[in-house]
Amino acid sequence: MTDFRRLLDALTEGHVEFVIVGGLASTAHGSARLTQDIDVVYSRAAANLDRLIVALAPYHPYLRGAPAGLPFLWDVATLQRGLNFTLTTTIGDIDLLGEIAGGGGFEALLPHAIALEMFGFRCRCLDLPTLIHVKRAAGRPKDLEVLAELEALLEEGDESGGGE
Amino acid sequence: MPAPFERDPVIEAYKKDVDRTLLRANLKKTLTERIEALMALQKLADEARRAGQKSKSPR
Repeated sequence: MTDFRRLLDALTEGHVEFVIVGGLASTAHGSARLTQDIDVVYSRAAANLDRLIVALAPYHPYLRGAPAGLPFLWDVATLQRGLNFTLTTTIGDIDLLGEIAGGGGFEALLPHAIALEMFGFRCRCLDLPTLIHVKRAAGRPKDLEVLAELEALLEEGDESGGGE
Repeated sequence: MPAPFERDPVIEAYKKDVDRTLLRANLKKTLTERIEALMALQKLADEARRAGQKSKSPR
């Protein structure tokens, strides 16, 4: 089970710059669907990579689904060599995304992020219209039901005059 | 980004089956309550998965 609270706490306490996307963002906007991991788009700035390494190191990140014993080093050089990482940690699964289809990287998403306060700390989450936009851009058949729910949430928000 | 969406007939077809009562109930919750509900659901799913695997394993 993914401990969303502890993972978000580790990232925010470590001053990591990130935007929540994917299933957890859907939950934040009111989705009733189950998600198993946290998807975040992280800043690729050098200082942020340092912070990300320090923040998650205590939880021993490792490549999700990979055989045990691979020489995977959790360090800045590894992050620099890759872009998107699907990881498992001792407190749950996290996808670290350098970019997402239809949305780009952290800087491109920032104007479309909203500040959320949960469990007493603040973090950024993709706004609902942009979440729908990137899900549509991904073009995955498995997202069709998710998209229907997200668009229904947008309509519910419009009808109630508010939303988040 | 994002441009206003054009209605997609496939998504519209799926939308008919969305349980809006569930969404309205969720929208009344705080963010923390929504994430806590998600974690509780995850725990329940894990437990059901474990029970299912146990029932299939040879005794």
